[in-house]
Amino acid sequence: MTAASPIAAWLGFSSQIAGEDRLYRLAFNETHIGNPAIRALHGGVIAAFLELAMQSELRANGHTPEATVNVTIDYVASSRAEDMTARVRVIRIGRRLAFLEAEGFQADGARLVAIARACLKLS
Amino acid sequence: MSDAPSDINPTIGAMLRSARDFLAHEHSLFRTLALQPVLIGRGQATFALTLSPAFAGSDGFIHGGLCTIVLDSIFGLTVFTAMEEVKPIATINLRTDYVSRAMPGARVRCAAICEAVDDDVAYVSGKLTLEESGGLIAVASGAFMIGTKGPMKGMRV
Repeated sequence: MTAASPIAAWLGFSSQIAGEDRLYRLAFNETHIGNPAIRALHGGVIAAFLELAMQSELRANGHTPEATVNVTIDYVASSRAEDMTARVRVIRIGRRLAFLEAEGFQADGARLVAIARACLKLS
Repeated sequence: MSDAPSDINPTIGAMLRSARDFLAHEHSLFRTLALQPVLIGRGQATFALTLSPAFAGSDGFIHGGLCTIVLDSIFGLTVFTAMEEVKPIATINLRTDYVSRAMPGARVRCAAICEAVDDDVAYVSGKLTLEESGGLIAVASGAFMIGTKGPMKGMRV
């Protein structure tokens, strides 16, 4: 799947099937840098990527996210100036709301950088 | 506001001033955001910006990701204004409630307050509002680690 919206294009967002899971990818770009001194990804960019991954996972499950109610993100390790991948877990999809969790990895999946959880309204 | 913002530590103030030109002209992401300072005081900051169409989602509205990028940026700066000496900081976590969606091109304000600094953790809260109507777009709260390893956030060493 290729970028379908301006934000997806800006993030260099894509998804692929990896075994039984869907794997989402942020293709690193210089504009994603938050702290130029340590060349880390901007925290907000990571949050944007994980939110988009959760919305995409919902669509892949046949649902349409109407709006995001809220997103919480924990930065568990420092990030680097490189691609990030994400796996999304559906916690529960109800009639009006869906709860999902996304984990963002670097170093070829070896380093967990951030975990986000979102509540999304379904249309 | 009845009280004028109290003074920022002079060393922190000098650091923020030197960071300002760098961020406005040489930092790719911040050049794209084009944040304009409205108020910067001890433990508080307000910036204005126009929401770029580059951050629109598939539904045509501004994607929530832009809100988190702006909030995280202004929250971090607000932590600096509350500090006594220059130290690197990092976001621990951030929670954002998306109250309403905004259209590309909308003029908005991001206002943040550093609620407390407890030893090496700073707590920040803030919101994104439409500049003209004051309509709420998002409310957020975050925690930041002070004195992390590595050089200054946003600074060239």
